Amino acid sequence: MSSPALSIPRNRGHSAGHGDGHHGHLHLQYQPGLPLSRGKLIMWLFLSTEIMFFAALLGSYIVLRFGAAVWPKPHHVHLSEPIGAFNTFVLICSSVTVVLALEAAKVNKTGLAKLWMVLTFVLGSLFLGVKAYEYKAKFSHGIYPWAPRGLVYERPDLYYGSAVRSRLGEPAVIDRLKELDAAPAESLSAEQRAARDALAQVRKIVVEPSQGAFEMAVVADQVAPLPADGAGEHGGSHAHGINDAFPWLRLPIVIPGGSMWASTYFLLTGFHAVHVAVGLIVFAVLLGYRLGPKHAGMIENAGLYWHFVDLVWIFLFPLLYLF
Amino acid sequence: MTDHASPDVHAADHAHGGVGKYIAVFLALCFLTTMSFFTYSAAWPWKDQPEVGWAFMMAVSCTKAMLVVLFFMHVWWEANWKYVLTIPAAMMAVFLVIMLVPDVGMRNRMVSQERALHMARPSDLTLLEKAAAEARAEPAAH
Repeated sequence: MSSPALSIPRNRGHSAGHGDGHHGHLHLQYQPGLPLSRGKLIMWLFLSTEIMFFAALLGSYIVLRFGAAVWPKPHHVHLSEPIGAFNTFVLICSSVTVVLALEAAKVNKTGLAKLWMVLTFVLGSLFLGVKAYEYKAKFSHGIYPWAPRGLVYERPDLYYGSAVRSRLGEPAVIDRLKELDAAPAESLSAEQRAARDALAQVRKIVVEPSQGAFEMAVVADQVAPLPADGAGEHGGSHAHGINDAFPWLRLPIVIPGGSMWASTYFLLTGFHAVHVAVGLIVFAVLLGYRLGPKHAGMIENAGLYWHFVDLVWIFLFPLLYLF
Repeated sequence: MTDHASPDVHAADHAHGGVGKYIAVFLALCFLTTMSFFTYSAAWPWKDQPEVGWAFMMAVSCTKAMLVVLFFMHVWWEANWKYVLTIPAAMMAVFLVIMLVPDVGMRNRMVSQERALHMARPSDLTLLEKAAAEARAEPAAH
Protein backbone atom coordinates (compact mmCIF):
# COMPACT_ATOMS: atom_id res chain seq x y z
CA MET A 1 0.00 0.00 0.00
CA SER A 2 2.68 2.38 1.04
CA SER A 3 5.03 1.08 -1.56
CA PRO A 4 6.39 3.90 -3.64
CA ALA A 5 6.31 1.77 -6.74
CA LEU A 6 2.57 1.28 -6.51
CA SER A 7 2.07 4.82 -7.52
CA ILE A 8 3.59 4.38 -10.95
CA PRO A 9 1.73 6.83 -13.08
CA ARG A 10 0.78 5.60 -16.48
CA ASN A 11 0.67 7.55 -19.68
CA ARG A 12 2.70 10.43 -18.42
CA GLY A 13 5.41 11.94 -20.49
CA HIS A 14 8.64 10.19 -19.77
CA SER A 15 10.94 12.91 -20.87
CA ALA A 16 11.24 15.67 -23.23
CA GLY A 17 14.65 14.49 -24.15
CA HIS A 18 13.60 12.62 -27.25
CA GLY A 19 11.55 15.38 -28.62
CA ASP A 20 11.06 13.52 -31.87
CA GLY A 21 7.37 14.05 -32.20
CA HIS A 22 6.25 10.59 -31.05
CA HIS A 23 3.01 11.95 -29.78
CA GLY A 24 0.28 9.60 -28.56
CA HIS A 25 2.94 7.06 -27.78
CA LEU A 26 3.24 5.00 -24.60
CA HIS A 27 5.16 7.16 -22.23
CA LEU A 28 7.04 5.67 -19.34
CA GLN A 29 8.27 7.22 -16.20
CA TYR A 30 11.12 5.43 -14.59
CA GLN A 31 10.72 4.66 -10.92
CA PRO A 32 13.17 3.03 -8.59
CA GLY A 33 12.31 -0.37 -7.19
CA LEU A 34 9.85 -3.12 -7.98
CA PRO A 35 6.12 -2.98 -7.34
CA LEU A 36 6.44 -4.58 -3.93
CA SER A 37 7.62 -3.57 -0.51
CA ARG A 38 11.29 -3.85 0.30
CA GLY A 39 10.72 -6.43 3.01
CA LYS A 40 8.83 -8.65 0.63
CA LEU A 41 11.42 -8.15 -2.11
CA ILE A 42 14.19 -9.21 0.24
CA MET A 43 12.16 -12.18 1.44
CA TRP A 44 11.59 -13.31 -2.14
CA LEU A 45 15.26 -12.86 -3.01
CA PHE A 46 16.12 -14.91 0.06
CA LEU A 47 13.59 -17.54 -0.94
CA SER A 48 15.05 -17.80 -4.42
CA THR A 49 18.43 -18.58 -2.85
CA GLU A 50 16.64 -21.10 -0.65
CA ILE A 51 15.07 -22.69 -3.73
CA MET A 52 18.57 -23.31 -5.08
CA PHE A 53 19.83 -24.50 -1.70
CA PHE A 54 17.15 -27.15 -1.38
CA ALA A 55 17.27 -27.91 -5.09
CA ALA A 56 20.94 -28.84 -4.58
CA LEU A 57 20.10 -31.07 -1.62
CA LEU A 58 17.05 -32.69 -3.20
CA GLY A 59 18.83 -32.99 -6.54
CA SER A 60 21.80 -34.71 -4.92
CA TYR A 61 19.42 -37.05 -3.13
CA ILE A 62 17.57 -37.96 -6.32
CA VAL A 63 20.80 -38.47 -8.26
CA LEU A 64 22.37 -40.52 -5.46
CA ARG A 65 19.18 -42.51 -4.93
CA PHE A 66 18.77 -43.50 -8.57
CA GLY A 67 22.48 -43.87 -9.23
CA ALA A 68 22.98 -46.28 -6.33
CA ALA A 69 23.34 -49.98 -7.00
CA VAL A 70 21.25 -50.73 -3.90
CA TRP A 71 19.02 -48.38 -1.97
CA PRO A 72 17.20 -49.48 1.19
CA LYS A 73 13.43 -49.71 1.17
CA PRO A 74 11.66 -47.45 3.71
CA HIS A 75 10.99 -50.47 5.96
CA HIS A 76 14.64 -51.47 5.98
CA VAL A 77 15.50 -48.19 7.69
CA HIS A 78 12.47 -48.18 10.00
CA LEU A 79 10.64 -45.33 8.30
CA SER A 80 6.96 -45.16 9.06
CA GLU A 81 4.87 -43.81 6.18
CA PRO A 82 1.80 -43.01 8.33
CA ILE A 83 3.97 -40.86 10.62
CA GLY A 84 5.39 -39.04 7.59
CA ALA A 85 1.89 -38.49 6.20
CA PHE A 86 0.77 -37.18 9.58
CA ASN A 87 3.64 -34.68 9.64
CA THR A 88 2.71 -33.57 6.12
CA PHE A 89 -0.82 -32.93 7.34
CA VAL A 90 0.51 -30.96 10.33
CA LEU A 91 2.59 -28.67 8.09
CA ILE A 92 -0.29 -28.11 5.67
CA CYS A 93 -2.52 -27.13 8.60
CA SER A 94 0.15 -24.72 9.86
CA SER A 95 0.35 -23.13 6.39
CA VAL A 96 -3.39 -22.49 6.50
CA THR A 97 -3.27 -21.03 10.02
CA VAL A 98 -0.52 -18.57 9.08
CA VAL A 99 -2.53 -17.43 6.04
CA LEU A 100 -5.59 -17.01 8.24
CA ALA A 101 -3.50 -15.02 10.75
CA LEU A 102 -2.51 -12.67 7.93
CA GLU A 103 -6.10 -12.25 6.77
CA ALA A 104 -7.25 -11.56 10.34
CA ALA A 105 -4.45 -9.03 10.87
CA LYS A 106 -5.36 -7.20 7.65
CA VAL A 107 -8.91 -6.55 8.89
CA ASN A 108 -7.61 -5.61 12.35
CA LYS A 109 -8.93 -8.68 14.16
CA THR A 110 -5.85 -8.76 16.35
CA GLY A 111 -7.13 -11.36 18.81
CA LEU A 112 -8.02 -13.76 16.04
CA ALA A 113 -4.69 -13.14 14.31
CA LYS A 114 -2.86 -13.97 17.51
CA LEU A 115 -4.91 -17.13 17.97
CA TRP A 116 -4.01 -18.35 14.46
CA MET A 117 -0.39 -17.43 15.09
CA VAL A 118 -0.30 -19.41 18.35
CA LEU A 119 -1.86 -22.34 16.52
CA THR A 120 0.82 -22.08 13.81
CA PHE A 121 3.50 -22.14 16.48
CA VAL A 122 1.94 -25.18 18.16
CA LEU A 123 1.65 -27.05 14.85
CA GLY A 124 5.26 -26.24 13.95
CA SER A 125 6.38 -27.51 17.35
CA LEU A 126 4.31 -30.65 16.86
CA PHE A 127 6.08 -31.24 13.55
CA LEU A 128 9.48 -30.95 15.25
CA GLY A 129 8.33 -33.25 18.08
CA VAL A 130 7.26 -35.95 15.63
CA LYS A 131 10.56 -35.51 13.77
CA ALA A 132 12.49 -35.96 17.03
CA TYR A 133 10.50 -39.13 17.73
CA GLU A 134 11.39 -40.42 14.29
CA TYR A 135 15.09 -39.60 14.77
CA LYS A 136 15.04 -41.46 18.07
CA ALA A 137 13.62 -44.54 16.33
CA LYS A 138 16.52 -44.45 13.85
CA PHE A 139 19.11 -43.94 16.60
CA SER A 140 17.70 -46.82 18.65
CA HIS A 141 18.28 -49.08 15.64
CA GLY A 142 21.88 -47.94 15.31
CA ILE A 143 21.23 -45.74 12.27
CA TYR A 144 23.26 -42.56 12.70
CA PRO A 145 24.56 -40.12 10.12
CA TRP A 146 28.12 -40.45 11.39
CA ALA A 147 30.50 -43.32 11.91
CA PRO A 148 31.46 -43.71 15.58
CA ARG A 149 27.92 -44.32 16.81
CA GLY A 150 26.41 -45.75 13.66
CA LEU A 151 26.16 -49.52 13.47
CA VAL A 152 25.37 -49.78 9.77
CA TYR A 153 27.47 -51.94 7.46
CA GLU A 154 26.82 -52.07 3.77
CA ARG A 155 27.56 -55.72 3.05
CA PRO A 156 27.40 -59.01 4.94
CA ASP A 157 31.10 -59.70 4.30
CA LEU A 158 34.11 -60.60 6.44
CA TYR A 159 34.62 -56.95 7.41
CA TYR A 160 31.16 -57.06 8.89
CA GLY A 161 31.87 -60.39 10.58
CA SER A 162 35.03 -58.99 12.13
CA ALA A 163 33.12 -55.93 13.38
CA VAL A 164 30.60 -58.22 15.10
CA ARG A 165 33.48 -60.20 16.54
CA SER A 166 35.22 -57.09 17.88
CA ARG A 167 32.02 -55.92 19.52
CA LEU A 168 31.56 -59.33 21.14
CA GLY A 169 35.16 -59.15 22.34
CA GLU A 170 34.79 -55.85 24.20
CA PRO A 171 35.42 -56.42 27.95
CA ALA A 172 32.10 -54.94 29.06
CA VAL A 173 30.21 -57.05 26.54
CA ILE A 174 32.13 -60.19 27.55
CA ASP A 175 31.01 -59.70 31.17
CA ARG A 176 27.39 -59.31 30.19
CA LEU A 177 27.60 -62.28 27.81
CA LYS A 178 28.87 -64.40 30.71
CA GLU A 179 25.88 -63.29 32.77
CA LEU A 180 23.57 -64.07 29.88
CA ASP A 181 25.07 -67.55 29.39
CA ALA A 182 24.68 -68.28 33.09
CA ALA A 183 21.13 -66.97 33.30
CA PRO A 184 18.58 -69.73 33.94
CA ALA A 185 16.14 -70.22 31.08
CA GLU A 186 13.15 -69.33 33.29
CA SER A 187 14.49 -65.85 33.87
CA LEU A 188 14.41 -65.08 30.16
CA SER A 189 11.42 -64.45 27.93
CA ALA A 190 10.74 -66.77 25.00
CA GLU A 191 12.11 -64.14 22.64
CA GLN A 192 15.28 -63.75 24.70
CA ARG A 193 15.78 -67.52 24.85
CA ALA A 194 15.52 -67.77 21.07
CA ALA A 195 17.85 -64.77 20.72
CA ARG A 196 20.36 -66.41 23.10
CA ASP A 197 20.43 -69.51 20.90
CA ALA A 198 20.83 -67.34 17.80
CA LEU A 199 23.64 -65.43 19.52
CA ALA A 200 25.46 -68.68 20.27
CA GLN A 201 25.33 -69.51 16.56
CA VAL A 202 26.50 -66.01 15.62
CA ARG A 203 29.44 -66.21 18.03
CA LYS A 204 30.49 -69.52 16.55
CA ILE A 205 30.34 -68.19 12.98
CA VAL A 206 32.27 -64.96 13.61
CA VAL A 207 35.00 -66.70 15.61
CA GLU A 208 35.59 -69.20 12.83
CA PRO A 209 35.38 -67.06 9.73
CA SER A 210 36.12 -69.87 7.34
CA GLN A 211 32.61 -69.88 6.00
CA GLY A 212 31.52 -68.07 2.87
CA ALA A 213 29.60 -64.88 2.41
CA PHE A 214 26.29 -66.55 3.01
CA GLU A 215 27.25 -67.30 6.63
CA MET A 216 27.76 -63.59 7.26
CA ALA A 217 24.32 -62.95 5.78
CA VAL A 218 22.98 -65.42 8.35
CA VAL A 219 24.78 -63.45 11.09
CA ALA A 220 23.33 -60.17 9.79
CA ASP A 221 19.87 -61.68 9.61
CA GLN A 222 20.07 -62.98 13.17
CA VAL A 223 21.39 -59.68 14.54
CA ALA A 224 18.85 -57.43 12.84
CA PRO A 225 16.66 -58.94 10.10
CA LEU A 226 15.61 -56.59 7.32
CA PRO A 227 11.85 -56.17 7.67
CA ALA A 228 9.92 -57.78 4.83
CA ASP A 229 8.18 -55.31 2.57
CA GLY A 230 4.99 -57.33 2.31
CA ALA A 231 1.79 -55.36 1.84
CA GLY A 232 0.32 -54.11 5.08
CA GLU A 233 3.46 -54.57 7.11
CA HIS A 234 4.28 -51.28 8.75
CA GLY A 235 7.51 -49.96 10.19
CA GLY A 236 6.68 -51.05 13.70
CA SER A 237 5.95 -54.72 13.15
CA HIS A 238 9.29 -55.95 11.90
CA ALA A 239 10.88 -59.27 12.76
CA HIS A 240 12.99 -59.21 15.92
CA GLY A 241 16.64 -59.98 16.00
CA ILE A 242 19.33 -60.32 18.65
CA ASN A 243 19.74 -56.54 18.87
CA ASP A 244 16.04 -56.16 19.68
CA ALA A 245 16.13 -58.85 22.37
CA PHE A 246 19.31 -57.47 23.98
CA PRO A 247 19.49 -53.72 23.28
CA TRP A 248 22.72 -53.39 25.32
CA LEU A 249 24.52 -55.61 22.83
CA ARG A 250 24.45 -53.07 19.94
CA LEU A 251 25.98 -55.44 17.41
CA PRO A 252 26.78 -54.03 13.97
CA ILE A 253 23.95 -54.45 11.48
CA VAL A 254 23.77 -54.76 7.70
CA ILE A 255 21.57 -52.48 5.61
CA PRO A 256 22.73 -52.48 1.98
CA GLY A 257 22.85 -48.82 0.90
CA GLY A 258 22.11 -47.81 4.49
CA SER A 259 25.11 -45.51 5.01
CA MET A 260 24.31 -43.29 2.06
CA TRP A 261 20.64 -43.41 2.96
CA ALA A 262 21.41 -42.21 6.50
CA SER A 263 23.65 -39.40 5.20
CA THR A 264 21.01 -38.09 2.81
CA TYR A 265 18.06 -38.62 5.16
CA PHE A 266 19.60 -36.81 8.11
CA LEU A 267 21.02 -34.03 5.92
CA LEU A 268 17.71 -33.34 4.15
CA THR A 269 15.41 -33.67 7.15
CA GLY A 270 17.97 -31.99 9.41
CA PHE A 271 18.23 -28.88 7.24
CA HIS A 272 14.46 -28.85 6.90
CA ALA A 273 14.06 -29.14 10.68
CA VAL A 274 16.50 -26.23 11.15
CA HIS A 275 14.29 -24.16 8.84
CA VAL A 276 11.22 -25.15 10.84
CA ALA A 277 13.01 -24.14 14.06
CA VAL A 278 13.94 -20.76 12.57
CA GLY A 279 10.30 -20.29 11.52
CA LEU A 280 9.19 -21.03 15.08
CA ILE A 281 11.58 -18.38 16.43
CA VAL A 282 10.14 -15.86 13.96
CA PHE A 283 6.59 -16.72 15.02
CA ALA A 284 7.57 -16.44 18.69
CA VAL A 285 8.93 -12.94 18.01
CA LEU A 286 5.78 -11.98 16.05
CA LEU A 287 3.62 -13.07 18.97
CA GLY A 288 5.12 -10.20 20.94
CA TYR A 289 3.54 -7.65 18.58
CA ARG A 290 -0.01 -6.44 18.20
CA LEU A 291 -0.98 -8.28 15.04
CA GLY A 292 -2.96 -5.60 13.24
CA PRO A 293 -2.74 -4.09 9.73
CA LYS A 294 0.46 -2.30 10.72
CA HIS A 295 2.27 -5.59 11.08
CA ALA A 296 0.53 -7.42 8.26
CA GLY A 297 3.66 -7.06 6.13
CA MET A 298 5.74 -8.83 8.75
CA ILE A 299 3.20 -11.64 9.02
CA GLU A 300 3.13 -11.93 5.25
CA ASN A 301 6.92 -12.23 5.03
CA ALA A 302 7.09 -14.76 7.87
CA GLY A 303 4.25 -16.61 6.14
CA LEU A 304 6.11 -16.65 2.82
CA TYR A 305 9.07 -18.27 4.55
CA TRP A 306 6.81 -20.75 6.33
CA HIS A 307 5.03 -21.74 3.12
CA PHE A 308 8.41 -22.33 1.55
CA VAL A 309 9.31 -24.68 4.42
CA ASP A 310 6.01 -26.46 3.80
CA LEU A 311 6.84 -26.59 0.10
CA VAL A 312 10.14 -28.35 0.74
CA TRP A 313 8.40 -30.94 2.89
CA ILE A 314 5.82 -31.52 0.14
CA PHE A 315 8.71 -32.90 -1.95
CA LEU A 316 10.63 -34.48 0.91
CA PHE A 317 7.72 -36.62 2.09
CA PRO A 318 7.19 -38.71 -1.06
CA LEU A 319 10.89 -38.76 -1.94
CA LEU A 320 11.98 -40.08 1.47
CA TYR A 321 9.01 -42.10 2.66
CA LEU A 322 7.29 -43.43 -0.43
CA PHE A 323 9.95 -43.86 -3.12
CA MET B 1 -11.64 -4.67 -3.77
CA THR B 2 -12.37 -6.52 -6.95
CA ASP B 3 -13.73 -3.62 -8.95
CA HIS B 4 -10.24 -2.56 -9.74
CA ALA B 5 -9.69 -3.21 -13.36
CA SER B 6 -6.11 -2.45 -12.64
CA PRO B 7 -2.93 -3.61 -14.25
CA ASP B 8 -1.25 -6.34 -12.26
CA VAL B 9 1.11 -3.75 -10.86
CA HIS B 10 -1.74 -2.69 -8.65
CA ALA B 11 -2.94 -6.09 -7.65
CA ALA B 12 -0.13 -6.84 -5.24
CA ASP B 13 -1.47 -5.55 -1.98
CA HIS B 14 -5.12 -6.08 -2.51
CA ALA B 15 -7.27 -8.42 -0.56
CA HIS B 16 -8.15 -11.25 -2.88
CA GLY B 17 -10.99 -13.54 -2.12
CA GLY B 18 -11.92 -14.52 1.36
CA VAL B 19 -10.96 -17.17 3.81
CA GLY B 20 -13.05 -19.64 1.83
CA LYS B 21 -10.46 -19.75 -0.92
CA TYR B 22 -7.76 -20.81 1.53
CA ILE B 23 -9.99 -23.48 3.03
CA ALA B 24 -10.66 -24.82 -0.48
CA VAL B 25 -6.90 -24.95 -1.16
CA PHE B 26 -6.35 -26.64 2.22
CA LEU B 27 -8.92 -29.33 1.41
CA ALA B 28 -7.31 -29.86 -1.99
CA LEU B 29 -3.90 -30.24 -0.32
CA CYS B 30 -5.30 -32.79 2.16
CA PHE B 31 -6.89 -34.71 -0.70
CA LEU B 32 -3.64 -34.70 -2.67
CA THR B 33 -1.64 -35.88 0.37
CA THR B 34 -4.10 -38.75 0.74
CA MET B 35 -3.55 -39.50 -2.94
CA SER B 36 0.23 -39.78 -2.59
CA PHE B 37 -0.24 -41.86 0.56
CA PHE B 38 -2.55 -44.07 -1.50
CA THR B 39 0.49 -45.36 -3.43
CA TYR B 40 1.67 -46.89 -0.14
CA SER B 41 -1.63 -48.59 0.66
CA ALA B 42 -2.43 -52.17 -0.28
CA ALA B 43 -5.09 -50.91 -2.73
CA TRP B 44 -2.49 -49.32 -5.04
CA PRO B 45 -2.64 -51.49 -8.18
CA TRP B 46 0.90 -50.90 -9.50
CA LYS B 47 2.92 -52.39 -6.66
CA ASP B 48 5.22 -54.25 -9.05
CA GLN B 49 5.93 -51.15 -11.16
CA PRO B 50 7.43 -48.57 -8.80
CA GLU B 51 7.95 -46.11 -11.67
CA VAL B 52 4.19 -45.63 -11.98
CA GLY B 53 3.98 -44.71 -8.29
CA TRP B 54 6.99 -42.36 -8.56
CA ALA B 55 5.55 -40.51 -11.54
CA PHE B 56 2.18 -40.28 -9.81
CA MET B 57 3.69 -38.96 -6.57
CA MET B 58 5.81 -36.37 -8.35
CA ALA B 59 2.74 -35.17 -10.27
CA VAL B 60 0.85 -34.91 -6.98
CA SER B 61 3.75 -33.10 -5.29
CA CYS B 62 4.10 -30.60 -8.12
CA THR B 63 0.36 -29.91 -7.99
CA LYS B 64 0.56 -29.37 -4.22
CA ALA B 65 3.58 -27.10 -4.62
CA MET B 66 1.74 -25.06 -7.27
CA LEU B 67 -1.28 -24.66 -4.99
CA VAL B 68 0.90 -23.49 -2.08
CA VAL B 69 2.93 -21.08 -4.22
CA LEU B 70 -0.01 -19.65 -6.15
CA PHE B 71 -2.51 -19.20 -3.34
CA PHE B 72 -0.80 -19.36 0.07
CA MET B 73 2.18 -17.37 -1.15
CA HIS B 74 -0.16 -15.09 -3.13
CA VAL B 75 1.85 -15.45 -6.34
CA TRP B 76 -1.38 -15.80 -8.30
CA TRP B 77 -2.18 -12.15 -7.47
CA GLU B 78 1.33 -10.78 -7.76
CA ALA B 79 2.64 -8.57 -10.52
CA ASN B 80 5.00 -9.72 -13.24
CA TRP B 81 8.07 -9.38 -11.04
CA LYS B 82 7.27 -12.91 -9.89
CA TYR B 83 8.66 -14.31 -13.13
CA VAL B 84 11.94 -12.45 -12.67
CA LEU B 85 12.61 -14.29 -9.42
CA THR B 86 11.02 -17.66 -9.91
CA ILE B 87 11.95 -18.59 -13.47
CA PRO B 88 15.75 -18.10 -13.17
CA ALA B 89 15.73 -19.87 -9.78
CA ALA B 90 13.77 -22.78 -11.22
CA MET B 91 16.09 -22.98 -14.24
CA MET B 92 19.15 -22.94 -11.98
CA ALA B 93 17.61 -25.69 -9.87
CA VAL B 94 17.05 -27.95 -12.89
CA PHE B 95 20.50 -27.12 -14.27
CA LEU B 96 22.07 -27.99 -10.93
CA VAL B 97 20.45 -31.41 -10.84
CA ILE B 98 21.55 -32.16 -14.41
CA MET B 99 25.12 -31.11 -13.57
CA LEU B 100 25.16 -33.52 -10.64
CA VAL B 101 24.52 -36.55 -12.80
CA PRO B 102 28.05 -37.15 -14.19
CA ASP B 103 29.85 -36.77 -10.85
CA VAL B 104 27.35 -38.07 -8.36
CA GLY B 105 24.77 -40.15 -10.21
CA MET B 106 27.31 -42.18 -12.14
CA ARG B 107 29.72 -42.58 -9.27
CA ASN B 108 29.13 -46.30 -9.17
CA ARG B 109 30.58 -46.71 -12.65
CA MET B 110 33.94 -45.17 -11.82
CA VAL B 111 34.87 -46.12 -8.29
CA SER B 112 38.18 -47.11 -6.81
CA GLN B 113 38.80 -50.75 -6.08
CA GLU B 114 38.90 -49.99 -2.36
CA ARG B 115 35.51 -48.33 -2.59
CA ALA B 116 33.99 -51.10 -4.66
CA LEU B 117 35.07 -53.60 -2.02
CA HIS B 118 32.84 -52.04 0.63
CA MET B 119 29.99 -50.92 -1.58
CA ALA B 120 26.67 -52.70 -1.35
CA ARG B 121 25.49 -54.48 -4.45
CA PRO B 122 22.21 -56.17 -5.33
CA SER B 123 23.71 -59.61 -4.59
CA ASP B 124 24.07 -58.58 -0.93
CA LEU B 125 20.36 -58.00 -0.71
CA THR B 126 19.73 -61.39 -2.29
CA LEU B 127 22.02 -63.04 0.27
CA LEU B 128 20.20 -61.36 3.15
CA GLU B 129 16.82 -62.33 1.75
CA LYS B 130 18.01 -65.92 1.34
CA ALA B 131 19.27 -65.99 4.93
CA ALA B 132 15.99 -64.53 6.16
CA ALA B 133 13.94 -67.06 4.18
CA GLU B 134 16.03 -69.91 5.58
CA ALA B 135 15.71 -68.63 9.15
CA ARG B 136 11.92 -68.33 8.82
CA ALA B 137 11.63 -71.75 7.19
CA GLU B 138 13.45 -73.59 9.99
CA PRO B 139 13.52 -71.38 13.06
CA ALA B 140 14.39 -74.32 15.33
CA ALA B 141 17.55 -75.13 13.41
CA HIS B 142 19.23 -71.87 14.38
